[in-house]
Amino acid sequence: MSFVPSTPSSRLAPYWPLLALTIVVAFAAPAEAYVGPGAGIALLSSVGVVLITLLLAVASILAWPFRALWRLLTLKKTARPWARRFISVGLDGKDPRITERLMAEGKLPNLTKLAAQGCYHTIRTTYPSMTPVAWSSYSTGVNPGKHNIFDFLDRDRKTYLPVLSSAEIGTVDKFLRLGKWKIPLRRPEIRLLRKSRPFWSILGDYRIWSTVLRVPITFPPDRFYGAELSAMSVPDLLGSQGTFLLFTTRRSDAKFKEGGQRVELEGTTDRFSTVIRGPENAFLEGDPLLEIPLEIELDRAAKQVRVSIDGEQHLLVPGELTPWVTLTFKAAPTVKVSGITRMMVTELGDHFSLYMSPINIDPESPAMPIAHPSYYSTYMAKKIGSFATLGLAEDTWALNEEVTDDATFLQQSYDIDAERQEMFFAALDTLDRGSLITVFDGTDRIQHMFWRYLEEGHPAAAGRDGAAHHNAIEEAYIHNDKLVGKVMAKLRKDDVLMVVSDHGFTSFRRGVNLNGWLLANGYLALKPGCEGSTEWLREVDWSKTRAYAQGLTGIFLNIAGREGEGIVTPGAEAAALRKELIAKLSGLRDEERDEVGINQVYDAHEVYDGPYLVNAPDLIVGYNHGYRVSWDCATGVTSGSLFEDNLKAWSGDHCVDPKIVPGVFFCNHAIDNHDPALIDIAPTVLRLFGIDAPDYMDGKLLFDAPPATLTGAPARAPGSSADAEGSNDHAA
Amino acid sequence: MNLLNSALRVLFDLLLYPFQALPAAVGLLVVSALAAMGMLWVFKRTSNQERLEAVKRQIHAGLFEIRLFNDSFRRIWSAQLGILRNNVTYLRLSLVPMLFILPPLALVVAQLQFHYAYAAPAAGDQLVLTATLDEGWQDSGEVPVSASGKPQATLELPAGLVAETPSLWTPADRMLSWRLRVEQPGDHVLGIHIGDQQFSKDLAGSRPLQRRSPVKPGRSWVDQFIYPAEVPLPADGVLANVALDLAPAEVALPGWKVQEMAGVPAWMTVFFIFSIVFAYALRKRFGVVF
Repeated sequence: MSFVPSTPSSRLAPYWPLLALTIVVAFAAPAEAYVGPGAGIALLSSVGVVLITLLLAVASILAWPFRALWRLLTLKKTARPWARRFISVGLDGKDPRITERLMAEGKLPNLTKLAAQGCYHTIRTTYPSMTPVAWSSYSTGVNPGKHNIFDFLDRDRKTYLPVLSSAEIGTVDKFLRLGKWKIPLRRPEIRLLRKSRPFWSILGDYRIWSTVLRVPITFPPDRFYGAELSAMSVPDLLGSQGTFLLFTTRRSDAKFKEGGQRVELEGTTDRFSTVIRGPENAFLEGDPLLEIPLEIELDRAAKQVRVSIDGEQHLLVPGELTPWVTLTFKAAPTVKVSGITRMMVTELGDHFSLYMSPINIDPESPAMPIAHPSYYSTYMAKKIGSFATLGLAEDTWALNEEVTDDATFLQQSYDIDAERQEMFFAALDTLDRGSLITVFDGTDRIQHMFWRYLEEGHPAAAGRDGAAHHNAIEEAYIHNDKLVGKVMAKLRKDDVLMVVSDHGFTSFRRGVNLNGWLLANGYLALKPGCEGSTEWLREVDWSKTRAYAQGLTGIFLNIAGREGEGIVTPGAEAAALRKELIAKLSGLRDEERDEVGINQVYDAHEVYDGPYLVNAPDLIVGYNHGYRVSWDCATGVTSGSLFEDNLKAWSGDHCVDPKIVPGVFFCNHAIDNHDPALIDIAPTVLRLFGIDAPDYMDGKLLFDAPPATLTGAPARAPGSSADAEGSNDHAA
Repeated sequence: MNLLNSALRVLFDLLLYPFQALPAAVGLLVVSALAAMGMLWVFKRTSNQERLEAVKRQIHAGLFEIRLFNDSFRRIWSAQLGILRNNVTYLRLSLVPMLFILPPLALVVAQLQFHYAYAAPAAGDQLVLTATLDEGWQDSGEVPVSASGKPQATLELPAGLVAETPSLWTPADRMLSWRLRVEQPGDHVLGIHIGDQQFSKDLAGSRPLQRRSPVKPGRSWVDQFIYPAEVPLPADGVLANVALDLAPAEVALPGWKVQEMAGVPAWMTVFFIFSIVFAYALRKRFGVVF
């Protein structure tokens, strides 16, 4: 079969007789006046679009002089900018050891080229080496004591229960009540708890545009001169950080430990009727859950499943993820809440199971503020199609719970990466001057879930055939290298490209139950008769507890006046306790494995500085390679052994001693500061655009002077450290 | 064509029968809804829905882009060019379903035209009846002619209609015309005798909603297509067609009496609006993108 390119006329050939008839008919009165609703609307719409476009064109032309004048009057002066565009490709969790090995093996040609053209360094991460903390320091140029993000989680000081550290979603208490209906009189307040200012916000003060795509800790979005899509902390439609649904005929009393809901299907036939439960309906008394009817019909012979969601049909083939499917929950007349999900039949045998990914906020019709300006997510969804909006978009919990498999997780990750690349390049193509900052999460998620296949004897790989995904991490690195190649091909003169990771990665073989250790060593006490097996420290006797672990790396002292039932006096007693715990925990050994579990415990008062130090954990635990806080400890369970094997698919991590997991830093221009840190990037970007960094910023400039490789830059003094082309300290 | 028109006449007479005693807008509302559903069905099956959806999304994205980058002339113009380019694609994609929709729609419109376009003549109304002779009427020798060359024709009017003038002959157009006056509205059949040949023309006037044609067509295919409301004239007759200058009908909507505008009948304006509204309202139910 040969392919013959078709011309417009040949494509229309089958329609010529119809066209002729239509022309005859169309010119015969009275049909000339009307061509039907479909075509009529097509014509009307087209005319409408042309008119609107012309109107906008005229309006923009007329408004432009006024806008220009206003800009002129209000514009803050900058020094001579060194760069025209700053492009930052964030590769979350990209590890220098793996990167350097693959570069040495010639598997990352684009990064190697970038390093040769400019530079490559490892980059110091934050304390702790955790995504929300690190990217917050990257964007603000300050240490966590000034931006207030110390972990994924914080604790409620009164109840000791965990709360999200980065955003606070308020409630509405004023309603207009009409029978069973109650109309909220205002929107719930959503507050970003990250303090300080990201560099794109400062750039905006100088009318320098920035596009910020999926950089962690941007929910709710910053308001500045530019556009932003929120990332980490954006909840799903249920308000959680990612709750998948499993519709199954299997009976089980066990609940998913992590972010999943099981919906048991009733009946013995091949047809099931159930509902998809969504968020609470704030418009009805009692806040009942919103529901959408779900009909499932199995066709075992054809090996396919017909799923009807509110009447809309979808044909599913077992093992294949659907594209994004829109779920529209009707809350009240004219009020709809829209979400998107992907489905997959995971089982079609004696039992049937249907996996539904966490219901993401629909970017085209967002139920929460996930973009700035508010229509930006709609614009992007129109431009590239639906995309994941959940903070942690890759469904790690479903894989941990073995609801999905390795291949499905990888597909999800790569699909999300493809969405991200599309939005990145759409933004890059429209960036004439300013900055574009994007974080790609795939590297982080894939390393978390596939590290078990990377090293021999990982407990999480026991009994699994990892051969198929032994190279998953390497392939993710190679995939990212290709992305870098595509970006490099689009670079223009006076562009500065930085490829940055927030931290490196290491193995997570053994979990450490710090609360168990604190209990065993008399720092934490349980209520009488309790064993400590309840989550979220609910069995702790706070009146006898001096310290407790919360989050992934923090230990808090139970400070009087700060904690609800604090007993440790602030000042000398607290300092002495910190010192005591540091001495006991630093170098803590896992005797069973004959390894050091904790390298070093850091005093927050020594590593942080700033007005929010008071909110920080008192101690930051720096685990050794292979160790991390245990799953039990992370969920506030104090019972169990001090060290235990990690058997979950989540087998790699970075919440360890920050010194052992630096990130990577590539730039297409050589830098002068050869020991860069994440906090150096914000002041450097400001300087690239001719703006002096604010005094409160902790970061240092990466360039002492304009890089000679920027054409607009003045000549550098002879002997300058970055003078020679390709100057770098490529450590591979 | 005559067979098709006969079938359509029966169909539409039956379809519109329940609305005879109702205001025209009611019948048009129902017909518009049915037409919209039919068009949606055809549109869905004959258009490239995926591409239409994609193009529409790009047009929307372009509009957002103008708003987003309103400081940058370059971006604004680039977005506008993109919108116009996508608009052309959108029109091209809409052309194919239009080709499928237009022929059946034209048949429907033609039928509706003769139910809704012309007002029923009232008592005292004057009408001009015009009989146009075939081009070769003189060749047959069947038409008696007066000394002045005027064809001899007699008019047979039913009770309720009177002729106010004798026939007026316009040789250049081969037309014989009479001015009539309606004394008693009703369903009338007018007779015209030319030589041995006898012709008739219907004039329905007993109810507001009736099939009412200004022209009784000849045998030409195009004439029958355009004027399908009456049985055509015999093929071997000397008349090309018979016409009555019926007054255009109005359609009363709440707060708006729609009249003929720029040659577009009032009913068609209403039908256009109603069918578009229905099409928009039903498009999601039919799963159609346009």
